[in-house]
Amino acid sequence: MRPSFFHHLHPPTIPAAQSRWRYTLGAGGTAIFLALILTITGALEMFYYIPTPDQAAISIQTITYFVPFGALLRNLHFWAAQLFIIVSAVHLVRVVFTGAYIPPRRFNYLLGLALFVISILLNFTGYILRWDQGIQWALVVGTNLIKTIPFIGDSLYQALIGGTQPGSATLIRFYAWHIFGLMLPAAFLVGWHAFRVRREGGIALPPPTLRTDSERITRNELVRREILAMLFTGSALLVLSIFTPAPIAPPIIEMSPLSGEVRAPWFFLWVQQMLKWGDPFFWGVLIPVIILIILILIPYIFPRPAESELGRWFPKSSGLAQVTLAIIAVAIIVLTLLALIPIK
Amino acid sequence: MPELSRRDFLKLTTNTLLTASGLLGFGALFRFLGYQTEPLPQTEFDLGPASNYPIDSRTLLSKIPALLLHTDEGFSALSLVCTHLGCTVEPKESGFTCPCHGSKYDAEGSVLNGPAQKKLNALRVEVTTDGNLILHTD
Amino acid sequence: MYRRLLFIGSALLLVVILFAWQQSSRAPKPISLTPTLSGQPEYCLTCHADLPEISKSHPLQTFGCVSCHGGERLALNADLAHSNMRGGANPSDLSVVEMSCGGTSCHSGSEAENRDHIQRVMTSVQSTYAGAIANIRFTFGAQPDLNAYFGINAIKDEQTHTGITALSAFEPATETNSMIQKFGENCLTCHINAAPREEEAYARQTGCAACHATEQHKLTTAIPYTQCNACHNRGNYDLRSMTFVERADQPATRIQDYYQPIAQFTRCEYTLDCVDCHTRNEVMGDGDIHANQKDIQYVQCQTCHGTINQLPQTKTITGPNDIALKMEFLNPVSNLKVGDTILVTEKGEPLWNTRVLPNGTYELIGKATNLRFNFRPVMGTACEQKPDQQGSQYCHTCHAVER
Repeated sequence: MRPSFFHHLHPPTIPAAQSRWRYTLGAGGTAIFLALILTITGALEMFYYIPTPDQAAISIQTITYFVPFGALLRNLHFWAAQLFIIVSAVHLVRVVFTGAYIPPRRFNYLLGLALFVISILLNFTGYILRWDQGIQWALVVGTNLIKTIPFIGDSLYQALIGGTQPGSATLIRFYAWHIFGLMLPAAFLVGWHAFRVRREGGIALPPPTLRTDSERITRNELVRREILAMLFTGSALLVLSIFTPAPIAPPIIEMSPLSGEVRAPWFFLWVQQMLKWGDPFFWGVLIPVIILIILILIPYIFPRPAESELGRWFPKSSGLAQVTLAIIAVAIIVLTLLALIPIK
Repeated sequence: MPELSRRDFLKLTTNTLLTASGLLGFGALFRFLGYQTEPLPQTEFDLGPASNYPIDSRTLLSKIPALLLHTDEGFSALSLVCTHLGCTVEPKESGFTCPCHGSKYDAEGSVLNGPAQKKLNALRVEVTTDGNLILHTD
Repeated sequence: MYRRLLFIGSALLLVVILFAWQQSSRAPKPISLTPTLSGQPEYCLTCHADLPEISKSHPLQTFGCVSCHGGERLALNADLAHSNMRGGANPSDLSVVEMSCGGTSCHSGSEAENRDHIQRVMTSVQSTYAGAIANIRFTFGAQPDLNAYFGINAIKDEQTHTGITALSAFEPATETNSMIQKFGENCLTCHINAAPREEEAYARQTGCAACHATEQHKLTTAIPYTQCNACHNRGNYDLRSMTFVERADQPATRIQDYYQPIAQFTRCEYTLDCVDCHTRNEVMGDGDIHANQKDIQYVQCQTCHGTINQLPQTKTITGPNDIALKMEFLNPVSNLKVGDTILVTEKGEPLWNTRVLPNGTYELIGKATNLRFNFRPVMGTACEQKPDQQGSQYCHTCHAVER
């Protein structure tokens, strides 16, 4: 049989410990499945979506209310995207909390981080594509943040927005970024990321001589587990999509004064909360970038776990890395919750 | 200073050339992306006859967005664009509140509490010879 | 174990997908309407097919729903569909009326073509309440005369015929006299854009619909006196306490259900409807800002009955474009034709529901009741009225009924 990418990812047998739910949480695999769903549902949405300011929100209403199963499709795309962020974050936390990022997997850890950043950008651009009253202020704030970057801010703004204020050029650019400029690298990175998992010996475990558990599972068993995960994830996603519609709002008529409070998309609420404290560049750009740099540096600056400690949660020797990530995660969650408290 | 071998020199020159091409390429891309297909936004708004705005009136011009004031000292206008990150502030009884990050301004547009640092922009209001009001947002 | 779980998983997926199909088949079938005015399909009828057509003059096929009500024409979700609606359920509220009912080809056109309804209503005392405000402010010393300076909203009239070019918005909070403040708190429900008092007897909508909507989703010019009564016959404002005092009596007959119990009435005043005599300009304004209700209300007994020396004014309809024919078209009760002679008011407004009969008497057809009334001029009768006493109060001296 000719070797294929599928066989590369599914060798004849693998150590059973590599596919234990309680070790991997199935997060990486679920993320790939969600990415697949996002690609298919997104491609289908493109048959109806019109990326112009006049038509965008109207075409989304058409998908939602008139196209048979259009609402379901749109909800699937929405929920798969939100779950993708959550599942990717869980995957990241799992990798750090089990010390799996050490060489030879260090580079793949960076690929994963890049994917995570791209997936947040994909989610934000997709959110902007709604082009309705629900997104207009997040767009204004998000793009104005770019302007606050010293030296290059203004030209970067023009390059991304295509004008001095958000308009039809902005929408078509975000559309291009969403379905091509971000999707293409994301697809490439997903393939590379998965390829390297196997290339570096599968999911992190101690070297064979140090393993206590010699049980192995066959390719068929692995595929069965994957299909099982897909069936349950797919069913859960469908149930969520049937009962919980994706947000929709009236088309933007003009930048009319706001009523009530304006909230960022949920994955940026923590940034919005920090922006309430002052300087937009510091809180809105610098701090998130610093957090990203800390995440990038985790495999480089912190004590590494011993190889014998791989394959289980919370190896003692890399405690500092775990504490650092835990602090970041808790801070982001607390900030997100704080952002939900209404402004007095 | 160690002598540069012929091979190293060629390598360095090649890298320099490629880097220069790459930078120029990026520069070209940046300029390509920076082109503006849409006309610059309007900065002059004709508000119609000045007599439409009686003395002591405060008129919300939501399209601009701005607040036009007519006092004993004449016409003035406040931009309603929050100086923090550009959301439109909401007029309240005694000032303005930004719904995005909670900046508060007093009735004159000065910052009461942050995160905004600068007061709301005062906009220039011009009364033409035939009695029309022109608002300038630049 | 995984094989059994796989079976359960597959079954679960199928169940969920079947459920999605069932949900999709249960969704209501969208009902499309493409009104000729907008040319854009709207789906309001999916839920609102049971509403009656608003009026003959606003056919559904022409206007649809969105051109008046706003809202999201494609949305089949109630929240989204109803967002952006003008004036909530009532697009004729004066805050949005220009967008809903206005436009030069609709009710905000030129005065010459009689299409300036919105402008006239906006400046009328029904909207400004200018007379009451001026009286109260004068009484409590806040202004030196009875001129109108304030209205409910600031309003301007550039082509003034009354000398009043503008009213500022009345702001009770800035008044120093506590009685005027109290007046502001308690007595400003008496203009057509105020939310009415709560009890059923006061039920009306705001804006145009305050008078023209006699039932749910219906507009009419056949306005019965009961519609006017929602404001004009429910009680009085007590100037000592600055509060509203409801009518305590329960009117049993038509004559009791008419204005304050002390006033005098002749037969036509409790038999006809208000709109049978009171004209468009009196009720909806004449385009000028007036300081008082009395300045605009001018129809008297003599408008239809004349005086002992003079017959009432009449006019013969000469062409098909006569305004009287247009008004009759909206509420066809009198079968008015070119060549008919009708009564007109002192200011030339047609009383289009009247007709001069060949025998020299007159006929009036009730706009809301469709009843026919025959009446005579005063001239040639035994009436002993003095020529300089032509106000209706002098007619009441002899012709008022006992109550």
